[in-house]
Parts: sequence; structure tokens; C-alpha cells
Amino acid sequence: MLRTREDRQVLVRRIEISRVGVGALLSLLAVAYWIIQIVRGDYFFNLSENNRIRAVKITAPRGYVLDRNGATLVENEPAYTLHLYRRESRNLDDSVRFIVGLLDLNPEVVKSRVERGKRAPEFVPIPIAENLSIEEVAAVEARAVEHPEFAITVSQRRQYIRGGSAAHALGYLSEATPEQIKASNNIYAVGDWIGQKGIEGWYERLLAGVNGERRVIVDSHGREVREDNRLEASPGQNLFLTLDSKLQEIAEDYFKDRVGAAVALDARTGEVLTLVSSPTYDPNWFTRRVTSAEWNALLENPDRPLQNRAIQNMYSPGSIIKPFFAYGALSLGLVDPDQKIFCPGHAEFYGREFHCHKKGGHGLVNLRDAIKMSCDVYFYTLGRKLGIDRIAEILGSFGFGNPSGVDISFEKSGLVPSEDWALKRRHARWYPSETISVSIGQGPLLVTPMQVARALAGLVEGGRIPTPHLFYASQAPGTNAPLRYTADASTALPITPEQLKIVKDGMWAVVNEPGGTAYGSRVAGFEMGGKTGTAQVIGRDATLRAGVDKSKFQDNAWFVGFGPVEDPQMVVVVFVENGGHGGLAAAPLAKMLFEARFVPPKPAPPGVQAAGPAGGLQTASSRGTR
Amino acid sequence: MIRRLIGVSRIDPLVLVSALALSMLGVLFIGSATIGTKFEGLAGRQAIFIAIGLVAMTAAILFDYRMLLKFSFAIYCVCLVPLVYLLVFGESIANVRSWIRFGKFQFQPAELSKIGTALLLAYLFENEDETRMRTATLVRIGAIVGIPVLLVFLQPDMGLALTFLPLIFVGLFFGGLPAKGWLAILVVVAVLAGGGWFVLKDYQKARIGTFLNPDSDVLGSGYQVRQSKIAVGSGGFSGKGFRSGTQSQLRFLPVQHTDFILAVIAEEWGFLGVILVLGLFATLILRSLKLAQTARDRGGMFLVLGLTAMIFFSVVINASMMIGLAPTTGIPLPLVSYGGSSVATTLLGIGLILGVQYRRFANA
Repeated sequence: MLRTREDRQVLVRRIEISRVGVGALLSLLAVAYWIIQIVRGDYFFNLSENNRIRAVKITAPRGYVLDRNGATLVENEPAYTLHLYRRESRNLDDSVRFIVGLLDLNPEVVKSRVERGKRAPEFVPIPIAENLSIEEVAAVEARAVEHPEFAITVSQRRQYIRGGSAAHALGYLSEATPEQIKASNNIYAVGDWIGQKGIEGWYERLLAGVNGERRVIVDSHGREVREDNRLEASPGQNLFLTLDSKLQEIAEDYFKDRVGAAVALDARTGEVLTLVSSPTYDPNWFTRRVTSAEWNALLENPDRPLQNRAIQNMYSPGSIIKPFFAYGALSLGLVDPDQKIFCPGHAEFYGREFHCHKKGGHGLVNLRDAIKMSCDVYFYTLGRKLGIDRIAEILGSFGFGNPSGVDISFEKSGLVPSEDWALKRRHARWYPSETISVSIGQGPLLVTPMQVARALAGLVEGGRIPTPHLFYASQAPGTNAPLRYTADASTALPITPEQLKIVKDGMWAVVNEPGGTAYGSRVAGFEMGGKTGTAQVIGRDATLRAGVDKSKFQDNAWFVGFGPVEDPQMVVVVFVENGGHGGLAAAPLAKMLFEARFVPPKPAPPGVQAAGPAGGLQTASSRGTR
Repeated sequence: MIRRLIGVSRIDPLVLVSALALSMLGVLFIGSATIGTKFEGLAGRQAIFIAIGLVAMTAAILFDYRMLLKFSFAIYCVCLVPLVYLLVFGESIANVRSWIRFGKFQFQPAELSKIGTALLLAYLFENEDETRMRTATLVRIGAIVGIPVLLVFLQPDMGLALTFLPLIFVGLFFGGLPAKGWLAILVVVAVLAGGGWFVLKDYQKARIGTFLNPDSDVLGSGYQVRQSKIAVGSGGFSGKGFRSGTQSQLRFLPVQHTDFILAVIAEEWGFLGVILVLGLFATLILRSLKLAQTARDRGGMFLVLGLTAMIFFSVVINASMMIGLAPTTGIPLPLVSYGGSSVATTLLGIGLILGVQYRRFANA
């Protein structure tokens, strides 16, 4: 009961004011929602889309690698990885105890992995063990109901079927380094596999294909609810190599207990038929996650298995360089092939005594016989006549001093000395007596076996130097047009057929005439030409004095061979580190390779033929390289 | 016809209908927000509590509120008993001693004590009608509201404690506090706020901190505000469709069926849904204030004002919370948010409002 009328009116007025206030406040709220929902609606809508959509990569299956006859060298096999989903685990300690017992794992390793995994958000599964066997996978799956926290994921693992065979040609995969990720414009992410070295590295983009992507709807725990969109991966291309597995096997067998390298090329095309570097390593090893201790063991192996001796090690060529000088001198018209030089077993040049490898001397020798018997005095004389700069010109025209261009990375250039080089690099003038050493393949001159093979192909083909390559055939990504390797051949100095015949005849005699330095390795029913080399190991005397293992300072043995002599199809370079005499330690492998390929003669390998029209061909070098 | 009905009806249809509509919306969106979760089925429970609330509402309309005012001090004291009991013997659920269990159900006695406090305050002003407010009245207001606030704050449930504060405002504003008084209160509040910083629990401070700078801690306390803003904003004009809100259906929203139910509505029904909810509350509140003007006595007026003010305060704070305009203090949206005690007592309160209107004629 109100006591005064007036008072009630005051209250009623206050209520009226409050109604205005209520209306105003609610209207302001409506305006605030208008701003958030209408004015900034798109912005928040995008945020909500980002919230719920996650991109999940679909890894493209990597292309296989096959030899020229279609035999598989590298494939992929399923690899099983065990993951722990923390959210599903009632008790992490119990989970660890269970899995350690079930799979006989190292408890310390598992615990440390779990600890490391705890730093990531809860929905990120923790990898516990890689490369589970089928039996282990079955054991985990069988207990899946009791232990839903463990799940197996399948991925593809690179499998090098023949282990260490042709490892240096194939290369290997490893996780992309930060530099590689950066260089790829972030196509690669941490943990991605990427080809390293060999053709795995060189043709990475071709083999890797293009990864796809799944867009999945996830809840606030990151759990996948369903798939929204899917962009399929386009698989990597299968890659056929020029390698001939039969020859490769023979060469690897020969190098089982030897250190060195062997290269066989198709003399006309530069196709690499064989590429061996010994000792080798097993590329499968890298895809099983290497510990740093294992890495160091491999890196510290004194024989350096990772080193590709065919392209990365530089050696003195020794006498195998002589036919190139013969060729060059003939081409330049600086030698009369019939003129005989008397070899007493030694000779004096620039006031210094130089010895021939044959103590008693070869007597009177012409160019052909000088090659056949590898007469040092003859080539000393020839070398003096040419001079170091003309020698450099000749060697340069055969590609020495430059990478061979083979489709493998980290190739070395070798070293062709000249007066200019001496001044620039050595800061001392060139001593003419050094020219005498170089003229029998010693001195500062350094070559790789691949360079020698390429130069030899050029020599026997009369100056047409092919580019060595392992790429045989593939398909272009996207268009699937056939791809063949095309690379320009370069040319050495011009030479007449008659002049070329003299050099080849001398090399024929090396193998096929009594008195030739590789007569022991002649091939019955087949005409192989060749040249031996026995190169002194640099620094040998000094190190011998230090009292180190003598076997390490035996001469390096070389043999270069080609055949058939009349129509050369294959060139072979064999290099045996500390092998001793080239005719004894290196030539036998060449003999075996020519026998295997030509005796009895076989039809040309079928391989994979490029189908489509010539216009559809694309160069592998532009498409496949990085 | 409708105007006529509103004019003559002894039970105001606008208040009743908007209250019922908001309750129904609540059930609908509690269903949407909990489908496929461990909370599925809460919509049904909410419906049961609405039914209980409607029974209480009917009783409140039929029972003479003047009797309640007469015994309001006793009611007030009875309401405080469980609050004291909770502080001494209470079972801690989610770090808070707010609930009393009855078998399968839990009850929050603090909700009911809001009604008791509103009643006692109304009874105070039934007899306190000086044009100038006396200091003694000021102290009484502070004590009536302060005691339950303190008890609830100690549980500690800051959000619920805050919902009592509009009663003080009602007392001061409608009781006619002069300008000097407001100034004094402002000073006291400022001092208390400074001191309060040392009393607040860490998580409470964190919430206030993130309110002031929501991007500082994206995955912690700021996460709720951020996700709620995304939910509201992404709803756009007409929403993503019922049960199609990605933020709510994929559980990016925190406690979405209780405190953040408005964000679910905003996401799934868009700005239109928000306007619907705000419009219904505007109807409920503005109409209730209108009814207060027609109450037969001061007690009835203040009872309606107190009850309405509490609803209004919760609506404004909750709706501001969704879009980061207020800190996340755990204040539900009246009638709509899931919570049995809250919805039942709110309906009871609305019953009292309607009851005051029902008996607006002296001879009734």
C-alpha cells in the first residue's frame, strides 16, 4: 500500500528510464553482434574453416628403377610403423610396458621416444618403432581391442633389391636436409625422403612424382571426422637405366676383394653399361633411420665406401694416357708414325735421367710398337716435342679437366696441368722436366675413371665424344610421353681414318700380339684393343719411409679396352687401387666383360624402345634434372 | 484482439510466451550442442526441469506474493542455510562446492537464494519509502545482498555471486540514492576491486587477464573467447543451419550447452537467431518492467524490479561474453543455457512477476 501518490510517480518514472536503458543496452548488443557476424563475418568464417580443415599429404609412390633389360633394381615395399596415440591410453606407463614386452623393444628407447612425443599436441601420434615385421604387425593387431592406443601405419620404403650392387650409380634416399627443404621452395617437409647422390638424387623430381593432398574435417582434438576433398598424388616415373645387370654383376664379382672402379660405356652413345666403385655400401641401410654412431662408422671406414671412385676420386692415369698423346700428335701432324726412336731403357731430358719401365730398353720402336709395349722413352720424346700446353690442348679436347657430364652429382673435374695452371694455381713456373713425367701419365695430371672411359670412346670413334649417362628411358611426368636421353656429343681433334688406324692398331697389339702388355688377357674369337697403365701412388716414397702398410702403396693398376677393334661398340675402364701391374690386375676384368657381351655374340638388348613420334620426345636432361 | 487480451488478461501473455519460447529454444539447441557427445540426453533433462519450473511458476502465480513478502525474512534465512551447509560439508564438484545431490539430480541452492534475497529486498522497500534514502537503508541493502554473495563467492562461484549484484543496483537506483551516494559507492567499489585482485583465484585472474587481452594465450583461457567469437562471427546473417555449426559440432566451443549456448545459436542460426533471442529477452524484460509500474504496492514493484534486473544482467553479461566484450565468468544465459536449478528458479521468478501482475488490483 503506497503512502504517497507522488512517490509512486517517481518510481514509475525511474522504471521508465530503466526501460530506455534496457532497450539501449540490448540494441548495443545487437549492433555488436551485427559487427561480428555481418561486418566481420567472412573473416570469422575463414577462421572456422581453418579450424576444421586439415591438409594431410598423400605421398606419391616413388618410381621404380630398372636396368636396360627391365630387371628391377629398386622398388618400394610396405614398411610398418608403430604409433602410440596418447589420448587412447589409460596409463602411458602400462602402455609402454605392454609394447616393450610384446615386441621385445628396448624399454629405454621407447620411454625416451614417448617423452619426446609428449612435447607435441596430444592428438599427434608418437612413433614407437619402425620397420615392424609381419609377425610383429600381427601381434599388435591381435591385441588391438585391449590396447587401442597402438596403431600401425603403412608407408612405402625404398628397397634396393640387389643390396650394394650398383649402389654408387643408384644413390640412396635420406631425410631431406634443411638446406634441401629450403632449396625446394618447401615442396619437401621435415621427415620427407629425398634422393641423395646417384640417379636417386639426379632424377629426384622424375622419380618422386607429385604428392597429393587430402583435406579432412577434424574436430577440436584434431581427430579426423571425415574427408572433405582429395587430390590424388601423381606417382613418380619408373626409370630405366642403361646398366646391363649381367655385366654389372661380373664386374662387381671381380671387385669383391679389390678396391677400385670399373666403367663400361657404349662407345657410340655413352650409355653406361657398368659402373662399379669398390668397396660398396648397402643403400637399404639409409632408409632404416641411421644412428649417428652407424654414420660415423661408415664415414670413418678407411676405404671410404660412400666415395664413388668412378667419378669422385682422381688418379694419375699412368700409361693409359699414351694413346691419347699418339692421337693428338698425329692429328696435329707433329709425329711421323713410322719414324723409329731408340730406347736404351733410359734417356736424359733437361738434365735429368728418366727411366723406361723396361730396364734393358725396347730398342728401335715406332709409334705402333711404342703403344704396344708402352715404351716410356718414345713418349718422353714425344712429350718434349709437344710441350705442356699442346699436351693440355690434346687432353682438354678429350674432356680431361672437365666433368664427364654423367648424370650423377658430385663429379670431380680431374686436373690437366699447363703453364698457365702452374702460374695461377701453384704460383710457380712450369718446369719442362715435369712435361716428361706428364707424357707418361704421371706428374700433376689427374683423371677419373669416368673421364677416361668417355675419352676412350671418343678416341676409338675418331673424335666423337659421347656424354656418359645412366638414363635410358622413362616417361615424362604429366604427359607420359616417352623420354630418351639426349645430350650433345663433343668432338676431339680431327683425325684421318689412316691415322686413327695406327693408334687402334697399336692398342690391338697390346692385347693380341706377343709382347703386348695385356697379351695375357686376349679374348679368343674376339678382337679387343686396349692399353695398360701402372701408375705410381703419389707420395708413396715418403709414406713408405713413415712405415705404413706397404700394400697401400703398390702401384695403381689401369686397363682401358675397346672392341670390336674394327667397329668399336663398347669401351671398358678398369682401375684397381694398389693393384700393381695393369696388365695383370685390371685387364682380366675387361676380358671377362667383352667375353660376356660379345662371345658368343648376342643380339642387341631389347630394352625399352621409345614409342611415340620423334616430335613427342623430350630431353631427359631438361626434364629430369634438378 | 491480441491487444485486448493483453490489456485485460490477468496473466501477461507476452512475458509468459517469451519465457516459454526461450525455454524451448534452449532445449532445441542443447540438443544440437550435445548430439553425439557424452552429454547427449541433457535436452530431455532440461525439459524436465522446465516442467518443474512451470509447476513452480503456476504455484507462484496462485500464491499471494504479499504473504511471501511478509515471511520474506524467514524465507531468506532458510535459503541461506544450504549455502552455509555447502561451505562446511559441501562436496566439491569441479573445484566448486555449489551443488547438493538428490539421487540422480543435483541442485544449486544459490539459485533459489536469489529469489529469497529479492523477496527480502522487496520487503525492505515495501516499508522504506522516504524520498531521501537513509544511510541505514543503504547498510541494510548491503547486508541483505552481501551475505549470500559472500557465501556464494566462497564456494567459489564468482559468476553466480555476480548475478546478485543487480539487486544492489535496484535498491540504490529505484530506492532513490542521491548523486553523492553514487559517488561514494564508486570510490568504495574502486578500492574493493583493487583489493579483490589479491583475493581472486589464479584461474579467475587468468580469465580477467585474457578478457583484457584475448590473443595473449590462444590455447589457454583465451581459447574459449577466441573459439566463441569464431563461432558467432562465422554464423553470418542466417547461420550455418541447425546442427550444422562446425565450431559446435566439432567441439571447438567450450561448455557449449551451458554458458556458450548463445554462440551455438549464433553459429547455426546466424544474426537472425541472435536477434530472435535478444528480441525475446527484450520483450520479457521490457514487459516485466511495464508490469512493475502497475503493481499495487511498493513491495510488488521492487520484487518485479529485482527479479527482472537479475535476468537482464545475466543476459547482457552472457551475450557480451560470447563476443569477448565481458570476461568468461560462468554466467549462463537465463532460460536457454543448460542447468536445471537455473532454469527452474528463473521460471519461478517469472511466476512471481506474473503473480504481482495477477494481484495488481487491490480487491483481487
